[in-house]
Amino acid sequence: MVSYDDGANPHPSAQAGLLRRVLFSTNHKVIGLNYLWLALASVLVGMILATLLRMHTSWPDTAIPFLAGIENTPERYAALRLLHGSLMVFFVLTAAPQFGFGNYLLPLQIGAQDMAFPSLNLVSLWMTATSLAGMTWSFFLPLVSGMNLWLGSASVFSLAALFSALNIATTTLELRTKGMTLPRLPVTVWAWFINAILGMLIFSVLLAGSCAVLSDRLLGSNLFSSVAYLAQQPPDLLKQGSQAILWERWFWYFAQAEVYVAMLPCFGIITHLVATFSRKPVWKERLVVLALCGVGLVGFCVWGYHMFATGMNPYAPLVFAVLASSLGIPAAFLLASWFCTLWHGAVQLSPAMLFAIGFISLFIAGGLSGIFLARHDLAAAAVSEDFVIGHFHLVMGVAATLAILGALFFWFPKLFGCRLNESLGKVHFWMTFAGVYGVFMPMHWLGLLTESRMLPEAQRAALASAGSSIRTFVTVATIWTMAAQALFIVNFVRSLLLRRTVEENNPWQAPTLEWSIASPAPEENFGRTPPVVYRGAYELIGATADNFVPQNLAPEQLAQKTR
Amino acid sequence: MPGTTAEQDLDLIVENAGGGGGGKTPPAGGDEGGGNGRRGGKGQPSPTRYFAGMGLAIVSIFVFFMALAAAFLTLKRGSTLWVPVHIPALLWFNTGVLLTSSVTLELARERLGSSDLGGFQKLWLTTTGLGVLFLIGQLVAWRILVGQGIYLAANPANSFFYIFTGTHAVHLVGGVGALIYVAKRNFDVAKVSRAVSAEVTSYYWHFMDALWLFLLALLYLGK
Repeated sequence: MVSYDDGANPHPSAQAGLLRRVLFSTNHKVIGLNYLWLALASVLVGMILATLLRMHTSWPDTAIPFLAGIENTPERYAALRLLHGSLMVFFVLTAAPQFGFGNYLLPLQIGAQDMAFPSLNLVSLWMTATSLAGMTWSFFLPLVSGMNLWLGSASVFSLAALFSALNIATTTLELRTKGMTLPRLPVTVWAWFINAILGMLIFSVLLAGSCAVLSDRLLGSNLFSSVAYLAQQPPDLLKQGSQAILWERWFWYFAQAEVYVAMLPCFGIITHLVATFSRKPVWKERLVVLALCGVGLVGFCVWGYHMFATGMNPYAPLVFAVLASSLGIPAAFLLASWFCTLWHGAVQLSPAMLFAIGFISLFIAGGLSGIFLARHDLAAAAVSEDFVIGHFHLVMGVAATLAILGALFFWFPKLFGCRLNESLGKVHFWMTFAGVYGVFMPMHWLGLLTESRMLPEAQRAALASAGSSIRTFVTVATIWTMAAQALFIVNFVRSLLLRRTVEENNPWQAPTLEWSIASPAPEENFGRTPPVVYRGAYELIGATADNFVPQNLAPEQLAQKTR
Repeated sequence: MPGTTAEQDLDLIVENAGGGGGGKTPPAGGDEGGGNGRRGGKGQPSPTRYFAGMGLAIVSIFVFFMALAAAFLTLKRGSTLWVPVHIPALLWFNTGVLLTSSVTLELARERLGSSDLGGFQKLWLTTTGLGVLFLIGQLVAWRILVGQGIYLAANPANSFFYIFTGTHAVHLVGGVGALIYVAKRNFDVAKVSRAVSAEVTSYYWHFMDALWLFLLALLYLGK
């Protein structure tokens, strides 16, 4: 399974132009970093958009400078929401943990030279960038052409995601170094692998759906029986209604699983961080891998539970509700493993660990409200948009963002050869953590109380007036959370500018392969001699003085060390 | 290290699955092709990644067409606007052409296995020609339908006819490109041997073949 193509993929030398070295390099590390830059740009714009949306909700009459050119209409507001969602879901939550960290770290963690198909990898990076440009531009176009451009961009992104998933899955299957058997894979690699398989299944469906809608809109086909077509038909046929529900099914088939596509690599990252900073092996590592498989499998099957209100076979909601609730089982496994790893561990509260614990907290909080939503009857009775927004932002949006930040704090030395400032990082964490709870917890209350369809009318009216002050609180909390991110930017830029200290190669004393080489990772990873792996990825209670045994430490050397 | 042997076994199983069921040692000659089997010759990267990649790509493409097929069945059941397309007779001829191309492709690979490069090139180009002929045939079938006044925009059944044939044709164009690549590539400098490229391409081609039969059956039974 080991294969080193010496000179087969010549990496451009340092003398080569900036373009070839950075933008058109097929090196997995350059590509991974480029994905992370894309994600960083997208998350900053996405956060600004979110703040604008909140401000408009709370103070609709406030004129926002620089934005006078954008009309103040409901359509523009909807377009703003679409842009916020597209940027965050596609280019932050999908791109950063899977394509960014996955591309950079997966070959390093399995001891490979590069991804299986480096050129294809470059193609998917550029398709992702094209799609980002397309989705952003579509915001500035009139509705009809804007929607076409958005759909085209979504198709391009689906293709890019498919290529990327193909690459990650093949690399994991084929390019593991000698001794890197499946049980010895770090949980991060498992998560990227399972996620790649899931991605290959669902992005095909989004691609099919987007192509079909585009064909309806551009070529005039009638898959979704447009209103214009129905108008030409005899009136008795009109009661057939439109088949727009088909698009809804296609879309949710993709979009519900997309939640798990965003979360799966984060589960891997968190498991990795919790073990490393508790200085303990992952508790029941194989069960964790099984749970990840379970999340992937069930996540693929629960698409219908977004459609309780749209009408389906009367038994279908029950099936979907049971399936969706059963996601609690693998989630409980994961939580049990994280807690048992923490239990009696020598916990080091570095910023990366804080973000990991923050993730767990948000995952529990958001997951609990998910149980409400998984019930088809409860969802219809008492839950409104605010509740749903609060739920999925906690569990998918913010939790995943904390995982990304944790990963960034953890692997920053590997990426850039220096550390982020720890004190600034801790302040940043606590401000963000308080901020996101301040934003999304009140949203749950708003949804449950002020918009409940079960309460008597008079009570609802009374609650509605309380609602507006809660909304203002949410907006203020949003601005606070936004402002807290300035600390991160300062930390990030400062660390990169002051990159003077030579970072030791393994600052966290982690046993996985990426820490066995220099930081930042050299261009050809492990050089001419591929590493050999002798043990699992989490031997953190070691016989050696460092309390960890690197995966590639030969047994003879280990014996010498322990003697 | 507890359970080392079991781990290695598991690894072997996965490796075999990834490599499309191939063993570690390439059988001499046979349809594995020439001196360079799956595991590659000296100085060449292991080609198993290409088999694994193709396998995964096929799964992805399969899901793409399944999504379309599911939509086809949903719309057919739920709609009284459904006016089935009369499948042009030319399509049966096209199907024959595509099936023949799969046969010539296998014959070509057999020649390659017995190191008859000239015979391989001839049969391989025949395959490519048949592929192009199929594509032209599909275009003619479209012209026939348009001549009968059956357009993409007429009703969902017609839309599906064009979408199925169109998306399949787009995928097949990629297959023709791959065939040309294998025929024209200078394999002295390539990373993989011609036999491996030919085998990977053949998987794709046969899959396109089977997919076409499936789509045709769907359109036929969908009447």
